Amino acid sequence: MNRRKVFLASLLVFAVAGFAFAQKATIQYWTWRPEDVDKYNQLLSDFQKQNPDITVVQTAQKNTEYNTILSAALSGGSGPDVFQSRAYGGLETFAQSGYMEPLEQWVPELKGFASAPLRGATSIKDGKIYGVPFASQTLFVYYNKKMYAKLGLKPPATWAQFLANLDAMKKAGIQPLANGGKDGWTLEVMMGALCPNFYGANDYFNAVVKGQTNFQDARFVNAIGRLKDLIPYLPNLYMGVSYTDMQTAFINEQAGHFIGGSFEAGYFASQNPDLQFDVFPGPAAKAGDPQYVSTYADGNFSMNAASKNKAAAAKLLRWFASKATGDFFIKSLKQVSVVPGVDTSADPFITKVLSFQKYETPYVFLVGFRYQQPTGSTLAQAALQGMLAGTLSPADVAKQIQDGIATYYAPFKK
Amino acid sequence: MTTDLRFRGARPGRAIVLSVAQLLMGLYALLIFYPLFNMIVSSFKTTREIFQHPFALPVHIVLSNYKVVWIDRGFGRYFANSLVVTLVAMAFVLLLGSMAAYGVGRYRYRLRTFVFMLFLSGIMLPLKAAIIPLFMLIKGLGLMNTRAAIVLIFLAMGLPSTVFILSGFMRSIPLELEHAARIDGCNDWGIYQRIVMPVTTPAIALVTIYNAVPLWNDFFFPLVFLQSNALKTLPVGLTTFFGQFSTDWSLLFTGLSIAIIPMLVLYLFMSRWFIRGLTAGAIK
Amino acid sequence: MTRVDVRKGLWITLFVLPGLAVVGVFILLPLFVSLFNSLFNWQQLIRGGFVGLDNFRKILLADPYRTRFFNALGNNLKWFIVTMLVQNSIGLLFGYLLSRKVAAGGFYKRIFFIPVLFSIVAVGFLWGLYLKPNGLVNAFLKLVGLPGWTHAWLGEEKIATFSVIVVNIWRWVGFPSLVFLAAIDSLPGECFEAAYLDGAREWTTFWKIVIPLIVPAITVITVLTIIGSLNVFEQVYTMTGLDGPPNYSTDTIGTLFYRTAFGSVDSGNPQIGIGSAIGVVIYLLTFVASIGSIVATRSREVEL
Repeated sequence: MNRRKVFLASLLVFAVAGFAFAQKATIQYWTWRPEDVDKYNQLLSDFQKQNPDITVVQTAQKNTEYNTILSAALSGGSGPDVFQSRAYGGLETFAQSGYMEPLEQWVPELKGFASAPLRGATSIKDGKIYGVPFASQTLFVYYNKKMYAKLGLKPPATWAQFLANLDAMKKAGIQPLANGGKDGWTLEVMMGALCPNFYGANDYFNAVVKGQTNFQDARFVNAIGRLKDLIPYLPNLYMGVSYTDMQTAFINEQAGHFIGGSFEAGYFASQNPDLQFDVFPGPAAKAGDPQYVSTYADGNFSMNAASKNKAAAAKLLRWFASKATGDFFIKSLKQVSVVPGVDTSADPFITKVLSFQKYETPYVFLVGFRYQQPTGSTLAQAALQGMLAGTLSPADVAKQIQDGIATYYAPFKK
Repeated sequence: MTTDLRFRGARPGRAIVLSVAQLLMGLYALLIFYPLFNMIVSSFKTTREIFQHPFALPVHIVLSNYKVVWIDRGFGRYFANSLVVTLVAMAFVLLLGSMAAYGVGRYRYRLRTFVFMLFLSGIMLPLKAAIIPLFMLIKGLGLMNTRAAIVLIFLAMGLPSTVFILSGFMRSIPLELEHAARIDGCNDWGIYQRIVMPVTTPAIALVTIYNAVPLWNDFFFPLVFLQSNALKTLPVGLTTFFGQFSTDWSLLFTGLSIAIIPMLVLYLFMSRWFIRGLTAGAIK
Repeated sequence: MTRVDVRKGLWITLFVLPGLAVVGVFILLPLFVSLFNSLFNWQQLIRGGFVGLDNFRKILLADPYRTRFFNALGNNLKWFIVTMLVQNSIGLLFGYLLSRKVAAGGFYKRIFFIPVLFSIVAVGFLWGLYLKPNGLVNAFLKLVGLPGWTHAWLGEEKIATFSVIVVNIWRWVGFPSLVFLAAIDSLPGECFEAAYLDGAREWTTFWKIVIPLIVPAITVITVLTIIGSLNVFEQVYTMTGLDGPPNYSTDTIGTLFYRTAFGSVDSGNPQIGIGSAIGVVIYLLTFVASIGSIVATRSREVEL
């Protein structure tokens, strides 16, 4: 009986409280970054201070299960009000299914965003913007500054200099590259960091997207063939070297270079504060040429089209499109925010990454060919593993990628 | 006993075979304990140390991991939640599963094979494949964010293999036992409860551990169906250590070391049934 | 119907119905709804028009699906053969030895199932450490003077699948061991004693008396091996990856199904229609193979 009374009493309290705060909205927000939850809570509490009528509840889902759980929830007519969404092809899954709210009307700040990040938030089907882009990622090469100083090396501007640096390290008994081939996506990253300078960056990208050329173009075959130059400098039994092995080798100064992207710097620094590293863009084919880097939009913040609190959700999205969030990305997350007009000078690493973006080219398969199955990424990751293992030639890799994409890509069917 | 295999007094041929077999089993025992040891030792290291020196003993024992996981990350509550959900689900798995196994294994009727195949169908594809319809079902039943949803799903996941394994064992119990009991005036429930179940004990112990482990370790369904932090289970807590590009292996191993304890206890408890060789005695 | 039949029918219903209802509602119903999706064309997560068996035609006959499907199925076959030959034979040996009270048998009985208690996450990570290029396995090979035998165990196309299978055997061999042990233990002791009095050899007892009497347990293990081999997913996912790397050499129909139906985070988007069709094929294959092995072994069953 007593219990029942307590229950009734609490019900009453809730009812009264509910009446008093009838205007208070609760926004469910989902993210695939469990590692950033504490930091985001700071950002969200700042938002709630400015918007006392809104409570934001953050839920982090396991990255690998995120899409599955989000699909189930949205298909079931529930799910979060605001959620992180993948860019490009990953956006289409939810945008084309009608589960995302177009944001042009809700978030006027989007007008100020640059076109490159917006591309990752725009559906190719209807051209509408379905997300507030949060960060850009850039692919390049990390190097260990202490090792470079010890061996008297300089960051290479050309491929020949790069190979010479790797060779110098090998001769000095240092493992030149941390990279391996066990996790296919790290090979796609390697390709994205190093190949654009050989296939002709934007000229080639624009032509291949329009179908004016294809992946069996000699420029592309030659470009991926260059990756084989690196084999002598990869770790012993490199096909068994996983992403975590790569991270470990570089963080613990057991390898001199790490071909990766801007998303890794924060983790490197947090794991080994003594590690002195810097980055250089993919070396040019010949001296004097610009050094292009592949860039891509990392992801977006999107709104559930079935949300019951769209006005409140829009407030949160506008906050995510504001300089406060931009500063938060740079200062707390060490990520390259794409919010326009954010001051980046405080962080030398981000300033450097942005300076590379003077010569940027879209990360070819993610930006251009991840909209249908088999995606360019799927094909490239598997075929590049075959190439590094020695079972496929660069021409085989190019053919597999071309044949796979040609099964659906209209410009290739002409 | 004349039926024991012992070295003493064995012929040379048999002694060699037995030594090889002992070597194999000893080697396997080593392969069992090393990873267990490795896992627990890793829970006292930092993530960087786990990767840098994966097989060495920790330089400084980081006991704080256990405090962080158990108290700061709320694993005490997750642990209790997991215990409740798994125990309730397993109790029903064993009750309904052994009943259904009896109904499938000890009677002859026309629909028997059909019923048997229906149960077996339940393990021919992972239930994860049906997550979207399952989501709608749970939502339709008003069970979102309740322990009942997880208990029912776990129960359904545990039943098919339980029925399959137990009915196999129950079928091989001699019919004379049943006839004798029937003459003594036992009804069908009495035969199930007093004759068949005791004889099946080792198989039940086996099925218990076979099903409890995956249910205990399952993170997917609780992740989808339980949003409230007060209800979350231990494996869901473990998923928070997995980042997009980095994993907190130090805390993860702490969590995993905590998670394996109840299963070890359950197993050691259940293994008593194997060791007694209880059934042989029951039949004689 | 006679009264006896009605009574029997009622008893059967009482025993079977509660379990069947739960399995029916929470597994079979959602599973069949989801397999039904295979008959439709899907636009992302939205169901489009009815296409009949077109999705099945694609996975069985049209590239690029066909290549992926049969490559994966081939790997499932490897899983089945190696698991039957290695895991279940060792399991039978262990189970028999344990039933015969070999030295330290009580200890082994208490520990053989421990690997199953590990979370798959721990198994994947720890064995990943042992099998990596500078891991324990290669270190051991160098120590015993076999540096030429070192490999990238999880990274070489010819080896990776077998490495994952061996780890899975490590994890599961205790299960058939204990099933066979329980089966042999539940045989009446007279069988053995009679054989011994006749002076039968160990080998003869094993083949002529034990094996025929534990056929139901063999059926259970065979069917579970079939189901397990056709549903391989987690092991590959945690040890090599969802795309079955390197270059699809560890791909199975389970991983192919999952990444087709739900999309792979690092490389692709969901195709629910084709994914569901793969699910149906897995289901049918499992069903037919299980029935086949049940029928094949049941004819060999000996009633006591």
